[in-house]
Amino acid sequence: MALRKPTGKPDDFDAFWNDVRRQADALPLEPKITADPLRSTDDVSVFQVYFTSLDNIRIAGWYCRPANFSGTLPGLLTLPGYQAEPRIPLDWARQGYAVLNVAARGKLKSHHNFNPGVPNLITHNITDRNTYAYRGIIADAWRGLDFLLAQQEIDPSRIGMVGSSQSGGLTIITAALRSEIKAASAGAPFMCALPEAIRLTDTYPYQEINDYLRVYPESRDAVMTTLSYFDGVSFAGQVACPIIVNIGLRDNICPPGATRAVFEAIGSADKKLYPYDGQGHDAGAHLQKPIVTEFFARHLKNTGASS
Amino acid sequence: MTTPKADFESYWRETVEELGRIPMAAELTPIPLRTTDFSTLYGVHLTSIGPYRIFGYLSVPTSTTTSATKGTKGPHPVIYFTPPYQSVVQPIPQGAANELRRHVITFTLAARGQRNADKPFAAGFPGWLTTGITDPAAYIFRGVVADCLRGLEFILSRTDTGIDPARIAVVGNDLAFITAALGKGATHVATAPELFFGMPSQNASGPRSEVIDHLRQSPNDKTKIENTLALYDLRAFAASAPAARLIQAGPTGSDLDGTALAPLTKSAHATLCESAQSRYKDGLALMTWLAEQFNMPDPNIILPAAWH
Repeated sequence: MALRKPTGKPDDFDAFWNDVRRQADALPLEPKITADPLRSTDDVSVFQVYFTSLDNIRIAGWYCRPANFSGTLPGLLTLPGYQAEPRIPLDWARQGYAVLNVAARGKLKSHHNFNPGVPNLITHNITDRNTYAYRGIIADAWRGLDFLLAQQEIDPSRIGMVGSSQSGGLTIITAALRSEIKAASAGAPFMCALPEAIRLTDTYPYQEINDYLRVYPESRDAVMTTLSYFDGVSFAGQVACPIIVNIGLRDNICPPGATRAVFEAIGSADKKLYPYDGQGHDAGAHLQKPIVTEFFARHLKNTGASS
Repeated sequence: MTTPKADFESYWRETVEELGRIPMAAELTPIPLRTTDFSTLYGVHLTSIGPYRIFGYLSVPTSTTTSATKGTKGPHPVIYFTPPYQSVVQPIPQGAANELRRHVITFTLAARGQRNADKPFAAGFPGWLTTGITDPAAYIFRGVVADCLRGLEFILSRTDTGIDPARIAVVGNDLAFITAALGKGATHVATAPELFFGMPSQNASGPRSEVIDHLRQSPNDKTKIENTLALYDLRAFAASAPAARLIQAGPTGSDLDGTALAPLTKSAHATLCESAQSRYKDGLALMTWLAEQFNMPDPNIILPAAWH
């Protein structure tokens, strides 16, 4: 497939996102927190939460924290992948974090007023940056951060973000736009180096964009222009916090060429790439897990652990 | 091997008979957005027990009789992807090469509760696995299994698509194994169990942890749940599943590792493969097994480019 050159970061990129941020911030968060005894355990308290995000969409999430703690807790923000529902993040809570897993718009509990479905999410209003699906999804991640910042048990100076695939891309984007994120871990980041990514793959979800361009070839310029506002590479230069990125060199969903490109664009001086040979879209998750655990302990728990 | 409970036979016989009394009422709608020059995609609505309307995606190679530029001649093998344990179902599973659709007829099913089959019942995730679990007759997976059987029946009915009845593979989690065992016409099965294999342990992860959650809150339901899950235990289906089977176990040491799943491999043509904890290596094992079973000259033709 012949693709035109990447359109790059638009001139009005910052103005566009400042305006989206202004619109989101104008809305009251209206958090609702309900204990979930069915999913709670002896050591972790589980809550179903809702809050309001951009365009007045109510967003769901799972909030977990240790059942017993004193003082304040470090916070973690995460989201699920493109086609997954958020799992209950018991494991992070057991490590002493207050953690929120956000069901961004379109997910099961957040789709009453926004439901393009999967497939179709990544191309929903893709010719218009002002209504494109990811404008809201990115805002939902910010609002998840706002939810964490509103919790009295969380130390606002110790909040990190972790995720893989779509959540990996959103981690880079959120860390770029919100300085409250103090440490970030992104695996196999999605929505990055998009012109190259869709050229290199014929697997879903990126294949959805190829499908769209095949049927609507006249919209190619408009599509590429929209995507330039949502490409992780356009955001990455603004990431200032410590960040680690893991990729699988046999990733058939988010091609490693594209994920390497976003790593190289990250502005933080404290960044490290973990490439795993023989690994696919899981990006060596089982090998990376202890590295991520130590990374957040070092940056958010002040344990003094060495890198 | 686990001996099936006395009511196992009657439970599933009655389910199959109930399904047989419900007309399939298949309705196919072309989906131009997902149709390529080498395959046509259809949205498919079917009726299952209840009655309940379910959904699937059927992909048919454009030419069923001529050789594609680098493909195989029809008639074509079939891969039936049974429902994964998640809300959404895509035309082909995430990560599968779209080129697969050039060489293989694929069908993916959304069972009751999943997106596009979520009216009137929308499943919760978590929650699907334990919906109605204390009563075998009301258990949601009785309907889900019937939905899967309807899907297999639908594929086999579409002789106009150029299916090769000697190459019908059912692929997925436990539902693939149960479907291939209970249904007629499946020649191969590849399964990665995650749901139905005895009672889950206290530290179970994934969907099976839902059972532990339920028992923590309602411990008196234990016997009822054991009775229900015994009807779904994969070991009870092992004798009737197709001999040509790939069992994709969890990594060594996990509760569904190769040692645990060994009872499913009592077949001369069974292959047991433990997870390498790599979606690349595990996916490659599955696709190369399918290519070999389908007598494809080169497995690369159905692999994503990143795996060549």
